[in-house]
Amino acid sequence: MSDQTTYANQIAVVKQECPDADEGEIGKEFARYEKDFLIPPEDALRSVIRKFQAATGVEIAPNTSTPVRAEKKVQRFSELGADDRNVAIEVAVVSYTPRTQMVRGEEKQIAFGWIEDNPWEASSERVRWDYKDWGNKGETMIPGSVVRLEGASVNEWNDKRSINVNRTTRVTVLKEGGGSAPPTGNEPLSIARASEVEGFVNVVGRVLSAKPDVIVRKDGSGEIPIVRGKISDSSGSIGFLSWKDFEHKVGSLVKIVGASVRKFRETPEIQINDGTVIETYHDTAFPDVSELVESEKVSIADLRNGMREISITLQVESWAQRTFESQDGSSKTVRSGDVMDPTGRCRLTAWCEFDPKPGDSIRIEGGRVQFWQGSPDLVIDNLDQVSSLSDAPWEKIDPENHWVEVDLTSVTQGGSRRGISTAGTIVAINSGSGIIERCPDCRRMLRDGSCSEHGPQRGEEDLRLRFVLDNGVANANLFLGKEPAEEFLGMSMEEVKSEISNIGREVFVSNLKGRVLARKMLVHGRCSVDGQGAMLFADRVEIVDPKPAEEAKEVMERWEVVL
Amino acid sequence: MSESGSRRGRQSAIRIFAQEYSESSLIERGVGEYDPSFVITKLGAKVNRCLVCGGLERMERRDGDSGPFYRGQIRDPSGTHYFDVAPFQPELHPDAEELLARFETGDSILVSIVGRQKSNESEDGGIFTSIRAESFTEIDLEAYKSWMVEAADATLRRLDAYSASQGVELTKESFRDAGIPDDLLTGLMKSREHYSEFDTEAYKVWILKAFSRALGRAEESLEVTIGNVSEPEEGPPKQATDSADPRDVILGILASNGGDLVEYDALVGACISAGSSREEAEDTIENLKDVSMEISEPRFGFFSVSS
Repeated sequence: MSDQTTYANQIAVVKQECPDADEGEIGKEFARYEKDFLIPPEDALRSVIRKFQAATGVEIAPNTSTPVRAEKKVQRFSELGADDRNVAIEVAVVSYTPRTQMVRGEEKQIAFGWIEDNPWEASSERVRWDYKDWGNKGETMIPGSVVRLEGASVNEWNDKRSINVNRTTRVTVLKEGGGSAPPTGNEPLSIARASEVEGFVNVVGRVLSAKPDVIVRKDGSGEIPIVRGKISDSSGSIGFLSWKDFEHKVGSLVKIVGASVRKFRETPEIQINDGTVIETYHDTAFPDVSELVESEKVSIADLRNGMREISITLQVESWAQRTFESQDGSSKTVRSGDVMDPTGRCRLTAWCEFDPKPGDSIRIEGGRVQFWQGSPDLVIDNLDQVSSLSDAPWEKIDPENHWVEVDLTSVTQGGSRRGISTAGTIVAINSGSGIIERCPDCRRMLRDGSCSEHGPQRGEEDLRLRFVLDNGVANANLFLGKEPAEEFLGMSMEEVKSEISNIGREVFVSNLKGRVLARKMLVHGRCSVDGQGAMLFADRVEIVDPKPAEEAKEVMERWEVVL
Repeated sequence: MSESGSRRGRQSAIRIFAQEYSESSLIERGVGEYDPSFVITKLGAKVNRCLVCGGLERMERRDGDSGPFYRGQIRDPSGTHYFDVAPFQPELHPDAEELLARFETGDSILVSIVGRQKSNESEDGGIFTSIRAESFTEIDLEAYKSWMVEAADATLRRLDAYSASQGVELTKESFRDAGIPDDLLTGLMKSREHYSEFDTEAYKVWILKAFSRALGRAEESLEVTIGNVSEPEEGPPKQATDSADPRDVILGILASNGGDLVEYDALVGACISAGSSREEAEDTIENLKDVSMEISEPRFGFFSVSS
């Protein structure tokens, strides 16, 4: 059957609109839509008519630009003067306490509290100021959230500066708080809930550990005695730091009233200050220590920078030791290696004489987490924190083939971790893909032959590819270093170099686009996640060929679609 | 990701069919210097960036005051996406030239585009959504089918959230309790406030078309059912699902006719060829003329788009 008979009805309609059009041509156009674009003739009608008529483009008026407001935009409170008005700054809301106040004989609803500047960094990097809210911004200034204030003003009284949030101040929520405001009453929160807020909380929990410690003042003026520990309930556990005496022993049940939750690196911590009340609590139904310890166990996927008092079971993959000279001239030995569990792999560092063999199963109690090259590094400081397990807790993991599949959305919502595989579509190639020059001192990429830290340098060439991986809900920057890039391109760095000098950088990138853009990619490697987003560092990548029929069946099953 | 996202975090590319995008009339403009703007669809997708695919229907270069720019449109099972490459994106111009040259050979070209939302408001308040391309590339049929499945998956996920949100109080907590995923939460709340209730049936039609094309079953009839995904409890009566909307056909013909009058019989005939019944076609014309007044009848029996 020719196109003309197949599409006779549609051709007749087009002919009415475009009497001069050739029927054969119209038929061909319908066939093209159906075969090449998968659009059936009835749906293609408008398009085909349009094609055979003079195209009528709609002229689009340019956007009118928005007026510019004269405002003082700052990053830190320290940049503000006492007289500054119309200030724009991004802050973290720590607390929000409403109060009724008489102003000129009138009862007014106001609120006061604490805000911190530099809200995208850890609380230790921030400065805290008082503020007053004269404009009923309670719905947006929720503790734990990050907001942008525009049109705020500085208030100075008794040499102390604070921020006034006025009625005309615009408050834009940049990051939602971890749920609603903590209760102002006396009701205790579950520990899981308390870990999500920043601000004052009341909690009831059992003391799992409590050890005296000291904080050394940075100015060298001495030491502050503190107590560090951990309390727990059936919902979870949280570390605490007490600036005053803490007399409750491990195992005792306490109610802590008026402690503040702050984040140390990425880990929430309860701070016990002079104003905090700790009292013994009685509840016979409360889980005992052994039960709580059992539920305490974490896996590698749960590790976050700054965690303490970790209990975890691991399989050792490799182990090595190295000796170095410390600042005071004495020689020190550090042992470290890679460890795994079913949720992934990480590094373990031991500041004690711990010498496991690859394949050993070990259990750690009271370990801590710091970050090493963007990944969590478990640390133990003495031998009694670790024990060998005679029975393997799980079927031996093969280190050669231990990749934990994590979907991209979970990657971006979770913590930094190693040994994962994830997938998405490449939606962009970032600049700096190809041959780059690195600073021989710090390995930073040189820009115009110059390092941001070490000035002009004779650079060392390196190969690197940078993509953006996206699954429609989440996205991550994807980095391929020299080896994975060589493997993916199927060329050595020298070959890439000579290709770029032959065809030019633009053509090289353009070819790369044709190869990866809009294609699905499977990535094996590690991820690093912080407030700015997720980065994936690939060990290897591969393009996944589309299998539309299989994919369609899977999606139809998921949503119960029947054709 | 999700909600307002982390600061200056990159916005993910929403997989979206043309119809859902073009039906949107809710624009959320970022207030600060770096705040992203969004087109919020009826199903609550907050589109700042999107990944779309389709057959290249048009591609042209124009010369503006600030230099050359490119415009084009791509066709997917639901409708047409409009995109452009601006004068201030010179890095994309060589690719645009290449695509233009390919288009002008008359070959059928399937294109994948990653772009940012763009919207324009007409004087009468109408919203025209389009895409400012960030990158684009030619793809093959298998990759196109695969994208259709992904877009169908994403649309079904939104339909699911949309139906879960029906009758739920407009607060974050209630929405969360109703099982609405975080990334759709604020968008869906805003869309519920802005749009009146609408029939999701049309959405299902092109989703099913997409599936049947992806499975290579284009010829089969589309007598179809969808499970409990998005069936509203009491929806308006279903429209015939296997024909083009007569309203679209009529408006399409009139719009593409450059202002010239079109005869009544021609409009009815076009609707019938596109699968509607005569009654439907006649009712639609009457409705467009007397109720929504989108078309007028300057001379008896001859129609044009209302000006």
